[in-house]
Amino acid sequence: MMLRQIAVMTLGLLGTAAAQTVTVGLDADPPRLDPTLSTAFVDRQVLNQIFDKLVDLDQNLKIVPALAKSWKITNGGLTYTFTLRDGVKFHDGTPLNAAAVKYSLERHMTLENSGRKNELKAVKEIKVVNPTTVQITLKQPFAPLLGVLSDRAGMIVSPTAAQKAGENFQNAPVGSGAFEFASRKRQDNITLTANASYWDGKPKIDKLVYRPFPEGDVRLANLLSGAVQVITPIDPKDISRMDKNDKFNVMNYSGLSYYGIWFNVTRAPFNSKAARQAVAATIDREAVAKVVFHNTVEPANGPFAPGTPAAAKNARIPKPNLPLAKQKLGGKPLTFTLLTAPGTVPTQLAQLYQAMFAQAGITAKIEQVEFGTLLDRADKRDYDALVLGWSGRPDPDGNIYDFFTTGAPNNQAGYSNKTVDQLLNKARTQTSMSSRVATYNVALGKINEEVPYVYVYHQNNVVGTAKGLTGLKPIPDGILRFKDVDLK
Amino acid sequence: MLVFALRRLLSTLPTLLIVTLVVFAMVNLLPGDPARLLLGEEATPEALAELRRSLGLDRPLPEQYLRWLMDVIQLDFGTSVKDNTTVTSLVAEKLPTTMQLAGFSMLIALVIAIPAGILGALRRGTWVDQVLTLMALSGISLPNFFLGILLIYVFSIRLAWIPASGYVSFFEDPGKNLLLLLLPAVTLGVHSAAVLARYLRGSLIETLFQDYVRTAHAKGVSGPRVTFKHALRNALIPVVTAFGLQLGGLLGGAVITEQIFSVPGFGRLLVDAVFTRDLPVIQGVVLVSAIAVFIVSFLVDMMYAALDPRIRYQ
Repeated sequence: MMLRQIAVMTLGLLGTAAAQTVTVGLDADPPRLDPTLSTAFVDRQVLNQIFDKLVDLDQNLKIVPALAKSWKITNGGLTYTFTLRDGVKFHDGTPLNAAAVKYSLERHMTLENSGRKNELKAVKEIKVVNPTTVQITLKQPFAPLLGVLSDRAGMIVSPTAAQKAGENFQNAPVGSGAFEFASRKRQDNITLTANASYWDGKPKIDKLVYRPFPEGDVRLANLLSGAVQVITPIDPKDISRMDKNDKFNVMNYSGLSYYGIWFNVTRAPFNSKAARQAVAATIDREAVAKVVFHNTVEPANGPFAPGTPAAAKNARIPKPNLPLAKQKLGGKPLTFTLLTAPGTVPTQLAQLYQAMFAQAGITAKIEQVEFGTLLDRADKRDYDALVLGWSGRPDPDGNIYDFFTTGAPNNQAGYSNKTVDQLLNKARTQTSMSSRVATYNVALGKINEEVPYVYVYHQNNVVGTAKGLTGLKPIPDGILRFKDVDLK
Repeated sequence: MLVFALRRLLSTLPTLLIVTLVVFAMVNLLPGDPARLLLGEEATPEALAELRRSLGLDRPLPEQYLRWLMDVIQLDFGTSVKDNTTVTSLVAEKLPTTMQLAGFSMLIALVIAIPAGILGALRRGTWVDQVLTLMALSGISLPNFFLGILLIYVFSIRLAWIPASGYVSFFEDPGKNLLLLLLPAVTLGVHSAAVLARYLRGSLIETLFQDYVRTAHAKGVSGPRVTFKHALRNALIPVVTAFGLQLGGLLGGAVITEQIFSVPGFGRLLVDAVFTRDLPVIQGVVLVSAIAVFIVSFLVDMMYAALDPRIRYQ
């Protein structure tokens, strides 16, 4: 007994001596560490390490097995049957089986204030076939389901822990992921430890610490001083400087997001299609990429980022066309207010847009309001034009459907077009990606012609790492996965 | 003295009530919808309505205020909308950090300000005084964020002596705690030091010309004894006020400095709460800061009364 204790203690000491800690600097303190309640992008950075998902994404956004070893889609796209990995356990020892998957999905669909309700709206029923088989039945075919399950909606929580903790689960999250939640101190750190019995092998590092640095300069200073080994994102202005510093690496890879300008089509002046087309024609996407973003964004002409399955391979990025803009205006003056959030980048962007509009004789007044107010006014359609983007989803549907169908929650323009509605609904039910893409292209042609929204650019994911850090994969969803990361 | 203390305490009650009203009104008059901000870009109308209902945001404002006030009187500041922690426990978690930072800063301020102020007063008009004045003016005019980033650049990035940010509690590792708080404390302390040194210099010069000082000199009391025993005590009275104001301000959370050095104190809690429109946390933090200022100014008044007995009989 005594000997065993000494052995355990020695091992423990050896373990601490070689303990590898990676500290990650984020741009915000993740608000909610509960996959059901989370509504912030930054939460996903941490949630992804603690919780396994049914399926995951690879670098090419292909859906790959995770907790589900395999799956079958039958019954005309209405039934999804998942075969789960055997012998997986949650961090608290609860077995991860079909019943736990059913519990988690139903929790996502029913918990008060769940952020997942909308994502799982198409689900009719979840059935436990046997301990390793779970079956999801849909109300109608919904092709984006696997994409949705590769994110928070597919994260499986420990039923025992969730039931015990109740509302407090977000402060003591228990999943089956490569790292276990250890502690959190608000605005200071979230500490995770390696899950030694992870089904896919123990992580190479022992400890993963997340720290929030809302200021870009402060985030960078902490990387430079060695206090953190990874930061995301890096401010555009700092990227070229980082590139020249040989103690650090910059990963700059495509993401899923898009950014641009909404037009409120429900009132003047942008209830006129010609006015919208005129403004859109003044925009020089190359200049935006170069001036504001130091070429860390890709010019856009649609919602699907380059490298993603639905990206239009040979899409033409429109060049600014001032004669066309003037012709669309027909000699009439156009004056409007451009609503934007505060901050260095939004300010630069708004001023650049303002200058571009001015070249065609269009006058824009910039109004800056804080982000919550901006969203609120967007909902109430209390604006003329609005600078707002979307962080992006792996399945194309998540980047277009809720934005342009009539009455959809993110349809800030108040846009409504029966043909577009029909096309976007049709794409959801099509099973092959190529036929879906074809449908999207038709819908997008219509949207780009009527311009309720001008797509301007896709933002890249920019991650700074210390030289000795290896194993981070550039997965377009922008979530850093630390299971295979090592620090020398 | 006791009567004075009690009277002083009672007179703060109506003011505190007004503070609660102002805090509540201020927070609720802010544009923007907390539910919308919490749910972010992903919100659906149903989810928004559900959240508003569960936050009580659909109730009339007077009703919301009364409910909040009743809870506050029972020291229940509500629950953070963001992560379901009670505001009381958040305050309890952050306040000691901010108090330590404020105390540390004021200590640095005093260590600089007292000798500088005395020296400036005694050597008024000489080059020593001019140099000190210049330093004090730079200290007052240098913005915190600039000084903070400058210190990080020099001591964390160039020299790599002190980590750029972070925090461990004093009880966990006292040495590391003080090391990590050093740069933010200096950032805040320099500013306070400059203010206090100016006050002390001015007040000491004035006192040195008082009759009783001259009398003391005439009676043959030694120079340093007059300065330190007789003049300084009286000269400190206005400095105590300035000290109280500075300390009160710091207890309310040194917002920018805490942000730059990632110190998890009151200031960061407040900034984060404002960004996420976490109303209960904003209200709680502002109210607790106000109470802290009241307590400090109460203590200052008490010290005043102790330093100058005339005050307590007025």
